[in-house]
Amino acid sequence: MASILKVDALQGVTAAGDITITSEGGAATQSLQQGLAKAFISFDGTGTVSIDTSFNISTLTDNAAADYSIAYTNNVSTSNHPVTGSNIGSSETNYLGYICSDGVAQATTGVTVHFVYHNGSSNNDQDPVHLVTNGGLA
Amino acid sequence: MASELRVNTLKDAAGNNSIATSFVANGSAKGWVNFNGVGTIAIRDSFSVSSIDDDGTGLYSYNLSSAMSNANYNLNSNASRNAGTSGIDTTNRAASTTPENTSSVLLGARNMQNGAVDVEQMHGNIHGDLA
Repeated sequence: MASILKVDALQGVTAAGDITITSEGGAATQSLQQGLAKAFISFDGTGTVSIDTSFNISTLTDNAAADYSIAYTNNVSTSNHPVTGSNIGSSETNYLGYICSDGVAQATTGVTVHFVYHNGSSNNDQDPVHLVTNGGLA
Repeated sequence: MASELRVNTLKDAAGNNSIATSFVANGSAKGWVNFNGVGTIAIRDSFSVSSIDDDGTGLYSYNLSSAMSNANYNLNSNASRNAGTSGIDTTNRAASTTPENTSSVLLGARNMQNGAVDVEQMHGNIHGDLA
């Protein structure tokens, strides 16, 4: 029978920040909170930068060519959180690598990211840029 | 006391923002890791990653605490240049990643001259179905 739960907040019983969910195959369980992305953003990094869509992102800053900073609305718990990303310019003739923490150590408040042309010889503003943050919230 | 709730759909109290619980499970990352890939490699922070292996210069693998249902899962990665370095030079890094099997992920790092390099900031995450 189908069922619907209407609530504004979910908390674990044993630990408020830990709700266990069962795997798709039913063989394992994992933490719901740990698995959820804590922030994501897609933005136009050319010209006057602008956010296309985002979650838990307070600001996007254009530092220099192909160099951007994002700030979280709610901080993550440690500066050691993983941030992965991609951009549209990847092809055999237009490959641009995503570089996180460009010259700036990661912080719980956000990260600085960078894109560079495949031969390392130039920086190019990108549109769109996609970033995802995992980790724990503070 | 531990308790179990079985529902098909979650909504906020106003009845909006509906999401099927299958999307909650399917949309959750099944693992993520941030590790130091230089010298004696070490995990800084992780979720559902039991260990990491140093498989050679610029080549690593990380092992999942819970196996995936098949080896066709989604992976993302990042190899960052070291903090304190900047500019468009040989400090740039790129990462690649691919499933090794249902319990292990390969992760590599290269510089812009296509040379394998160890990297301080290696990041990865994994999406798909758990076994």
